[in-house]
Amino acid sequence: MTRLLNGQILFALGLAFLNTVYASQLLEMGRPFASGEPGPSFLPAILCGFVYIAIACILIGEIRRRPEDRDTATESDTVPMIGMVGPIIAIGLTCLFIVGFFYVGYLVSAGLYAFLITLYFNYEQNGTWTRSLLIALVTSVALTLFGWLFFVKLFDLYLPIWEL
Amino acid sequence: MLGQIADGFLVLAQPATFLYLLGGFLLGLLFGAIPGLTATLAIALLLPFTFGMEVTEALVMVAGIYMAGIYAGSITGITLNIPGAPSGAITTIDGHALMKRGEGTQALGMSALASSIGGVIGAVVLIGLAQPVSSLALLFQTPDKFSLVLLAVVTVTIVASGSLLKAMLAMAIGLMISTVGIDPMVPQGRFDFNSFHLIEGISLLPAVIGLFAVSELIAQTAIPAKLGHASAVAKIANPRRWDFLPSRERLGLVRPFTYVKSAVIGVVIGMLPGGGASMASFIAYAEAKRSARAPEKFGDGSYEGLAASESANNAMCGGAVIPLLTMGIPGDAVTAVIFGVLLIHGLVPGPALLGENFAVIAPMFAALFTASILVFLSVLIFGPFYLRLSQINRGLLYAFIAMISMVGVYASSFSYFQMWMALAIGILAFLMRRFGYPVVPALMGVILGPYLEEFLRRSLIVSDGDPMVFLTSPASAALLALTVLFVWLLRVRPARRGRLSKEDAA
Repeated sequence: MTRLLNGQILFALGLAFLNTVYASQLLEMGRPFASGEPGPSFLPAILCGFVYIAIACILIGEIRRRPEDRDTATESDTVPMIGMVGPIIAIGLTCLFIVGFFYVGYLVSAGLYAFLITLYFNYEQNGTWTRSLLIALVTSVALTLFGWLFFVKLFDLYLPIWEL
Repeated sequence: MLGQIADGFLVLAQPATFLYLLGGFLLGLLFGAIPGLTATLAIALLLPFTFGMEVTEALVMVAGIYMAGIYAGSITGITLNIPGAPSGAITTIDGHALMKRGEGTQALGMSALASSIGGVIGAVVLIGLAQPVSSLALLFQTPDKFSLVLLAVVTVTIVASGSLLKAMLAMAIGLMISTVGIDPMVPQGRFDFNSFHLIEGISLLPAVIGLFAVSELIAQTAIPAKLGHASAVAKIANPRRWDFLPSRERLGLVRPFTYVKSAVIGVVIGMLPGGGASMASFIAYAEAKRSARAPEKFGDGSYEGLAASESANNAMCGGAVIPLLTMGIPGDAVTAVIFGVLLIHGLVPGPALLGENFAVIAPMFAALFTASILVFLSVLIFGPFYLRLSQINRGLLYAFIAMISMVGVYASSFSYFQMWMALAIGILAFLMRRFGYPVVPALMGVILGPYLEEFLRRSLIVSDGDPMVFLTSPASAALLALTVLFVWLLRVRPARRGRLSKEDAA
């Protein structure tokens, strides 16, 4: 990545964007002292201003920083570009789990979620599919059963068990 | 008060309540001992389950996790030279040196004994001081309360490691999250983007789960197993349980005063905002070395050094709970999440808490005391297992965390939206961690934001917008002075010293 577009800078710019989205709502709330007293927009306006200043300072500091100070990535023997691929897999699987939880219920979605997460970690560690699949299968059945026993049976909480 | 404390012990003696303590204790042992997992994460994962519990049971379980989690940080520190938690870092120096000398079982036994003694002393001080401190804090007016919350917000921010600016930004993000939903003083929605989900605000549970559990899962998927330590093997022959009982000869190497002095240091540091177990164990270790008969043995397998650091970090637990319950100031990540547990059950930590709910809180005090004793018993029961603890399958651990946290969010809110919210906050927290923004200030912002805003606005309304109200109230002025003092001691002075030593070196 170029000096002007490293992760730190992109993240700070992302925060600035989110802050702007937040600030856009301030306009709908009226001025902080519109009624003579500190109103709903009082603290948010202060926070918004502070965040812009802090982000500006971070950006300036990052642009001035020497290139050798930057982070170095870690490598895996089995998963290429693990620093990026791993989080994308985790986020993707969690998204699928939430969607699956809504459409097919706890048993299928939790079982698959636990299976795929375990499979990822085990394959990354030992690089063999057969062993990883076996561990993932046993783990997912055990965890799904454990979750059902704990949430539903022991603590009497509701879960959509089977929605198919 | 003593009667209520006795009642607390009686409640704890009920089999069901005691089982909650045992469950929490075992969870704390597991999470504290495994590098990368923490007592904070264990309590965060417990949050969804607490909806199905009585508040007393939840607090008892939390106390078990807290005490065991702080102790267990030393287990893999001693066996593998990898502290399971930062609190076990200083113990690792002497503990692992003893392990290499073939005295691993005795080191684990001594560590458990010292932790027990420290934990008991911390719990006794908590029982003795909680109500007097609480009575004093009851005299606070609204501007004083604002200054108190500000003190908590500032101290949590300045004790975060790394860039102060990033810690302040993280705190601001947390405060911003807390402003979503209905305004605390006028019936007006804020930052809801016309969504009926957002009008209710972002509740604490997805925030805690996202900040700690989801972000941890995502972070771990980015780390190759070879850089983790879960596969490291403790090379030790199969020991017997009684091998973990410290021998008379080893007990004679540690003066009884060392346990007590270290525990007092731990309690005092625990009471200071931002103190924490690591600082307690470091200072107690340094003091034990200063006053030791054989200081040259420190760092090379000293039982006295091991006992000092362990006694201090478990005594810290009792001390840290005092400002949390009496003034609503959580000094570190664990107490911040305990703050959340209390809030979820409708209990607001602060001056009025113990006055109105002492009977509900007393079993927690009893649980901290009892958990301290369990620490020593645990090494006799689980000692041989401790030596194998770090070998638990990484996939199993993180699949457990992932599933329990996400299902837990749904089970406690019946809302798919809250699951998405936990994931969104988890992604944000992961990116914050990756780019050096601490997440604990963000959590504190979410928790303390509503109080900070309400007390600030109320104070300004009462004073017709005059900010001098915060200086004219003696308690408020004293708290603001304390805030400035903490900023000086914890940030300004160390930075100046660092700069001067760099200049000297140049």
